[in-house]
Amino acid sequence: MAKMSYNRKANLQRIALLTPGLLLFGIFNFLPLVALLGLSLVNWPGIGDADFVGFENFRKLAREPYYRDQFVNALVQNVWMFVLIIGAMLLLGSALALLLSFGTTGRGAYRAIYFLPYPLAGAAVAFLLDLMVQPRGAINTFFVKTMGWWDAPIGFLGDTDLALPTLAMFYAWHRMSFAIVLILSAIVGVRVILLEAAMLDGASRWRMLKAVVFPVLAPAFVLITVIVMVDVFNNADYTLLLMGPEAGPLRSTDVLGTFLFRTSFGGSATSVNVNFGMAAAIGLVTALLILPAALFLALKNLRKD
Amino acid sequence: MHKIFSLSRKEQLAVQFILIAWACVVLIPLGVAVINSLKPNLGEVYRAPLSLPSEWTWSNYAEAWVGANFGGYFLNSAIISVSVVIIVCFCASTTAFVLVRMPFKGSALLFACFMIGVIIPIRLALAPLFTIVKGLGLLDTLTGLILVQSASMMPVAVFILTAFLKAVPSELEDAARMDGALPFQIYWRVVLPLIRPALATVALLSFVQAWNEYFLPLIFLQSRELYPLTLGIAEFRAQFSVQWHLMFAGILIMLAPTVIAFLLASRQFIEGLTQGGVKE
Repeated sequence: MAKMSYNRKANLQRIALLTPGLLLFGIFNFLPLVALLGLSLVNWPGIGDADFVGFENFRKLAREPYYRDQFVNALVQNVWMFVLIIGAMLLLGSALALLLSFGTTGRGAYRAIYFLPYPLAGAAVAFLLDLMVQPRGAINTFFVKTMGWWDAPIGFLGDTDLALPTLAMFYAWHRMSFAIVLILSAIVGVRVILLEAAMLDGASRWRMLKAVVFPVLAPAFVLITVIVMVDVFNNADYTLLLMGPEAGPLRSTDVLGTFLFRTSFGGSATSVNVNFGMAAAIGLVTALLILPAALFLALKNLRKD
Repeated sequence: MHKIFSLSRKEQLAVQFILIAWACVVLIPLGVAVINSLKPNLGEVYRAPLSLPSEWTWSNYAEAWVGANFGGYFLNSAIISVSVVIIVCFCASTTAFVLVRMPFKGSALLFACFMIGVIIPIRLALAPLFTIVKGLGLLDTLTGLILVQSASMMPVAVFILTAFLKAVPSELEDAARMDGALPFQIYWRVVLPLIRPALATVALLSFVQAWNEYFLPLIFLQSRELYPLTLGIAEFRAQFSVQWHLMFAGILIMLAPTVIAFLLASRQFIEGLTQGGVKE
């Protein structure tokens, strides 16, 4: 048997090392993303032949009332949900991080407690908090029966005005510690020298916070915003779990994720407009919407080496 | 040391009040879940969701485990999560090793492809992914789901490991190469031990994500005997929409492994979060 040279062997082994990862990622991640482009140009209910229609799906999404209204509704509600979540996380997260950053007693214990919801599954959070806000749940029981402050129970998830904000609060409850940890680490990272200089200049605490601490929070805010944005615009777990693919009541909790799901796999028995091509078009448009934010994050991360 | 970070007594009290308030917001739902998972029947959950059980019914856990088949769901979740961790750790580390230490023509392009995977979540390409899995005959199999979930973790894992590997000096590998070691040996003997800390982070992230994933199993599994816990709990609600006390037992069963994993690795995880994030 002829002996292979070291270089040849090394080359073969390099290919062997690279192959499993590339196959896995290529087949189940990259190829579908590329296929999204092609699939968005056909009509296809999932069985039978695909029917090439060009940019018809995108046109329908922009023009045809059936799709346009659902799309606009889902998009607007998705933005609204994002604003509620990010508002709650940044305001409350900063406040709590700031309070923790002072020489507070029991800081470690608070941090541990605040972190508890983070590893919970979305499904667990959804059902856990659902029982809290049910008409017969803990919150209504407390305010109606125990305290007598409310006349009647509030159906948080049954009300078209309250359902979406309630789901947004579920998310904020689940992920708040993420915001707190990032903001806290930014605050702690403020250079002591800067603070001492400010103190020698006789600055008040509030002035120091404003001039020295707040400015360094910007990168943390950007990071939190981008990560939550990417998540909220394609994650619809709470809605799917609690409201189903029809995103009730009356589509008041519909977001892009549920719209995409419904278009791919159907919603209730009455919706028969299943079209993989349209679903691909929705996915593509969603990707384009979140791409600028995601690119920003990726570039920021890459620069860091 | 610096006065800005120290509080007077009065201020300390006010701060404690606010911090305790948020601790209550976090802890009360968890406490309510524990209390209600121990109630003897549903009537008591509805009648008085906030009071302690009249009878501490530990058998709810056994009933959820056996009667509602949480044992089976738990096993499926364990099979899926452990497989995902092994596959992701192996594939991502070999890929990162070759990309960083043995680059070739086109390796930059490959890395860019992985970055696209970081930026665009696979959920958006649901329909094509479904077609591919169906075409390979992997629909409604654990294998299919494991491959899909592993692939969805790959971009982030490769990203973390390449960043880490770049920061590790390559002298040891160079020495091994001088001694005539081949890539397999260098990977196994030199690189794998070196990147162990980063690999631990990747393992924790992919374990928790795989364990908690609801959406992908919902799409790629149909047979109930293959369901992981996330689908089991959702199904539990649809099927016994009134058995809250049993469902809470189920939820707490599902929490246990991730909470334990986090307790074991929380310091490293929080450090990973902050290092990946804000440092200028």
